[in-house]
Amino acid sequence: GVFAHLEMLEARAREADLKQTAMEQRKEQLARLEARVQELRQQRDELRAKVELQEQGAEKEGVMSDPAQHSAQAVLEWKIRKVKSTLQVFYLTGISGKLSKQGVCFCISTAYEGTYLDSYYLNLLTEPQVRIHRHSIPVFIPLEQIAKKYLQTDIRRFLSILSDHLNAYVGRRYQADQLQEHFSDRIEGTMQRNSLCNLLVFNYNPSSKSKTFPFNARLLYGDLCCSLPTEVVVSCAPAAPAALAETAAAHSDLFRRLALHKAFGSFGSARECVD
Amino acid sequence: MDETVAEYIRRTVLKIPRDEIKTMLQKWGFLSETQLQSINFHQTKDNISQDVVQCCEENSASIKQAALLDITYNHSYPNKRMWSVYQMNKTGKEEIDFFDLTDFRKKFKRQLRSALKNVTISFREYENNAIWIRIAWGTPYTKPNQYKTSYVVYHSQTPYAFISLSVLKSNLPLLRQALVVASNYQDIHEMELRSHSLNSLEDMVFKRYSQNFETYCPRPLQESTVAPESAGLRIVQENKNEKERIRRVNREVFGDGPQPKLEFAEYKLETMFMSDPKLEVLDKKEPFRCMVKFHSPHLLESLKSLAPAGMADAPLSPLLTCIPHKARNYFKIREKKAFVPGSFVSP
Repeated sequence: GVFAHLEMLEARAREADLKQTAMEQRKEQLARLEARVQELRQQRDELRAKVELQEQGAEKEGVMSDPAQHSAQAVLEWKIRKVKSTLQVFYLTGISGKLSKQGVCFCISTAYEGTYLDSYYLNLLTEPQVRIHRHSIPVFIPLEQIAKKYLQTDIRRFLSILSDHLNAYVGRRYQADQLQEHFSDRIEGTMQRNSLCNLLVFNYNPSSKSKTFPFNARLLYGDLCCSLPTEVVVSCAPAAPAALAETAAAHSDLFRRLALHKAFGSFGSARECVD
Repeated sequence: MDETVAEYIRRTVLKIPRDEIKTMLQKWGFLSETQLQSINFHQTKDNISQDVVQCCEENSASIKQAALLDITYNHSYPNKRMWSVYQMNKTGKEEIDFFDLTDFRKKFKRQLRSALKNVTISFREYENNAIWIRIAWGTPYTKPNQYKTSYVVYHSQTPYAFISLSVLKSNLPLLRQALVVASNYQDIHEMELRSHSLNSLEDMVFKRYSQNFETYCPRPLQESTVAPESAGLRIVQENKNEKERIRRVNREVFGDGPQPKLEFAEYKLETMFMSDPKLEVLDKKEPFRCMVKFHSPHLLESLKSLAPAGMADAPLSPLLTCIPHKARNYFKIREKKAFVPGSFVSP
């Protein structure tokens, strides 16, 4: 009845009171901790400032007393710039190197007719013998063969021959890619090639507005250090007219002398009407 | 069109996620544009596959074309298969290899068929000089089962082949022989390297992943921007130097680019148990055999992040970091022999 109700109200009042005091206590504690944090931060900042001041003081003593050091600094910077540009020049020549902890790391940069292409790396160890540690040379380049012949005896020759192989490879690949990209309408489908790009086989038509491809070209690159083919066979159907056979022979000669995409470029101007 | 061919095409189409079906069919190149336009690719896969079979019926598809569809599917989803890497050697011959694709295909087919007549062999070449070979196996008395296939990926003029055998291990010697003969090598052996990620296997073996070479090369270094802590003023990095050292060492070991993707590395230990002699744990002086296997969705990336995350010391053990360089994920570790100062990891 009424007493029960009164008891309930009393209990509620007590609870609310307890909650209130607990909350106030928490607030106080939070305020204290925040003040402590501020204190510590201030201390840290003061200490930091002290350390910086000490360091600066030490520096100032060194610098202020010797104005000549300024110009020495400038000279050093000039020297560094010069060395950097020399290294840049070496890099552009195609073979550059850097001494590493256990040997030398070479970078062979390739290019074909003015276009810079891929760079390949060789990490050589020099102790106890010169040998290859790591590299990024494509696996189809005969690296082991070249190394066996020249690495121990003549590093310059080794690098030069390897560079020739790589440059010729990227050159052949570049020509094939250019042909596929810019003259795809004159070639039947995609041309047959391989990893080294030393054998290309394709059917083509020198004029672009045609639907037939009467010529078959087979380019063999017998010299891996060369980006022009050593053997070219251009053929057409046995029943084809003589004029076609003549053109085939002319093209055969052309492909042997001129880069592939340039040869195709020259077709456009000659306006061969082959249907 | 053969019933079995129709069923095979239907089942292959069902494997493809619905959104990819049109692209896959275009890559396949067997159906014309008009035929592709006529198919509603928003219906259920069951219906789409029926429509595709219908179009193939119009074009009189044979098992040859169906096989090419299977190659197209597997080329788009190579990670569904487990690939092993094989290495071939040839001794002495210094002659240049003019790899002729037509020649290769002829030799491969001839060699394989001479051992087992009932096989379906299909080839497809892709731009990166990768030749995909699909073989469906039969037996001397039964026709080839199109659902029992093996795949070989071979890059011309390289000594490496990637084989996903799947079934019938007894056919492996035939496959190996055909490969060796067709590619002008002398013998072939399996490397200790296996993964689902074909691209990563290729990257490792062809050294296409980013190795860190010390050069003066004026490539613009990608400065890894260490993102400032969002808490800003209230958190201070007291061990900046150590963090910097760990980052530098990690970079030297792993390079800058993404790591090849491997799912596991297995180490078989045959080393002596190093215990306190007083404990006399093992009476016999025999190597203690055990195997440690690391599993991860991307093992090398997780190894790369161990030191920066504070879970391991930098530099990591060379046993872990040599994985891409040695191109292997199966190792046997024996006791260091007194006379061999070099690596104690057996080949």
